[in-house]
Amino acid sequence: MLAQRFAQTSLRRLAVQQARFAAPSAIATGRVFTTSQYRPVAATIVDEKQAQDQVLAQQRLKRPVSPHLSIYRPQVTWYLSGLNRITGCILSGTFYIFGAAYLIAPVVGWHLETASIAAAVAAWPLAVKFLAKSFFALPFTFHTFNGIRHLTWDTATMIRNKQVNITGWAVVGLSVVSALGLALI
Amino acid sequence: MALRLASRRMLAPQVFRRSMATTIEHSKGEPISTAAEALSASRPPVPASKTSTVEESKPDPDAKMKTFQIYRWNPDNPTEKPKMQSYKLDLNKTGPMMLDALIRIKNEIDPTLTFRRSCREGICGSCAMNIDGVNTLACLCRIPTESSKDSRIYPLPHTYVVKDLVPDLTQFYKQYKSIKPYLQRDTPPPDGRENRQSKAERLKLDGLYECILCACCSTSCPSYWWNSEEYLGPAVLLQSYRWIADSRDERTLQRKDALNNSMSLYRCHTILNCSRTCPKGLNPALAIAEIKKSMAFT
Amino acid sequence: MAATFRTSTAAARAFSLASPAFRTQFAARSTFTLQSALRRSAFHTSPVRALLPPLPQKIQGTVNDPVNVPSPSPTHGSYHWTIERVVSAALVPLTIAPFAAGALNPLMDGIFISAILLHSHIGFQSVIIDYLPNWRVPTIRKLFNWALNLAFVVVGWGFYEFETNDVGLTEGVKRIWKA
Repeated sequence: MLAQRFAQTSLRRLAVQQARFAAPSAIATGRVFTTSQYRPVAATIVDEKQAQDQVLAQQRLKRPVSPHLSIYRPQVTWYLSGLNRITGCILSGTFYIFGAAYLIAPVVGWHLETASIAAAVAAWPLAVKFLAKSFFALPFTFHTFNGIRHLTWDTATMIRNKQVNITGWAVVGLSVVSALGLALI
Repeated sequence: MALRLASRRMLAPQVFRRSMATTIEHSKGEPISTAAEALSASRPPVPASKTSTVEESKPDPDAKMKTFQIYRWNPDNPTEKPKMQSYKLDLNKTGPMMLDALIRIKNEIDPTLTFRRSCREGICGSCAMNIDGVNTLACLCRIPTESSKDSRIYPLPHTYVVKDLVPDLTQFYKQYKSIKPYLQRDTPPPDGRENRQSKAERLKLDGLYECILCACCSTSCPSYWWNSEEYLGPAVLLQSYRWIADSRDERTLQRKDALNNSMSLYRCHTILNCSRTCPKGLNPALAIAEIKKSMAFT
Repeated sequence: MAATFRTSTAAARAFSLASPAFRTQFAARSTFTLQSALRRSAFHTSPVRALLPPLPQKIQGTVNDPVNVPSPSPTHGSYHWTIERVVSAALVPLTIAPFAAGALNPLMDGIFISAILLHSHIGFQSVIIDYLPNWRVPTIRKLFNWALNLAFVVVGWGFYEFETNDVGLTEGVKRIWKA
């Protein structure tokens, strides 16, 4: 047993020493065996086409996407941002629909002149008037105040978590109050 | 030499021979135990009356039971829809953090539960997941002590799920690689040794270099949910700003040019979920705002 | 056993002979449902069915390649962003001024309307960019973009008519609001 091991180690040493007696040219160019690391690992470069065929690529195709909108906790940050977009779409949508409708009104025979609309609105009961006004007033005030908040962030100020929270709720309160005020005019 | 070794080996007596494999065939050479096992495989070697018995502990009256509902999906049954599975733990026997609960579930209840974890102290970013609706690191998230409410644990939102709570972050890492997250310089340092920086210049990197790339912020961003193919997301943009803000880097303009298109940077609509959720308390939204500001008139 | 086997296969053959069209249709549908289940195994607790469900995961190139960096285009990037901010910021005084001053100025009204139009256009554009990704639905995206451009012209023209034939936006809103 022992003799066998001695023999093995000495054989190994001999093998290593042979490399030490390297050719002078190799020493000159710094290609000496013992100075460089030797790792017996075969690395293969996988091209794109090959990668597509691999088992992993096949597994990827079956993966589900984890839930997102439905499970993320409602927070003042993303709810107000979403509301900003929705209110903007309500206002701009009305603006666009009115502009396009006014253009084709003479052809279709609608009466969209200010005087006739004002006359129609005047005939409504007070509660309906109030509801209709607040339907436009609330998006308007919210989009305005929240827009100012967004513009402030674009100057890289008021963007700390606490400030965002405070200004967010401030915008909600301010827009509701001012929308009520506008609707009652 | 070799011949001698070979002959020695052949001549070595059977007793001293050692097999290379280390399997233990314990009952082979012992006729008594072999015979006993052959008689009855079901009969225990020691009768139950002579052993001490450990009974399952009685339900603790002071137990603070809490239910954890955890998202499960197994890639071995890909057609099966992801489902929620609930586990009940006694909080008195569980550590204070969500990761402790997960590890306890895996150790004691269900070893098939899969999640990533490593450092358990919020520096590796492996255990990023959505806990009670907010992205955070499980190791930094305390278990809420009011045990009446269930805790819900999901993988990071809108990511492809590898298994259970493990998301695939390949796209995230590929995006990180695309911003070249390393110092780029053409001129050698003036003193030939170090690229020096004043204290004020170094101060600019505070709040940026601490990012551990756990992907909590990116996967909390609705813009990133819808456009992760092209929009880089808060984490990668914060990293990009870390190199833009670095006084030693000489490719600031190229870095900004790489972001100057409709998708990479400007899908950020200052929703600010990123800063809200960052488990390290960093402010990716501020970093993105700074990038936008510095690019405003270029 | 063998008899039942034979009859069933015979029945199946008769069935297939009797209504091949139905059978192929059925087969096609069943494979389709299986494939779609494989494709987007939707999360079962979410009650809303996604309009544009995410596609199966595919990695462009190998995992070690960085994602593609688009070539710089400031018109869609920084300039676009700056113009958007300038218009938005300008809208604040433009909105308040006419109502506060109570003065009717056609020029101011025109500027106000163009600013709203531009602001709305950019807003709708970002909605389209966000929810209709170019790599996913290129045709629908193009369609919506052209529809938006068309709407820009139509609405602009409509308000030109409104401004020239009617009392103007500020005055009109004031009158309807106080009606």
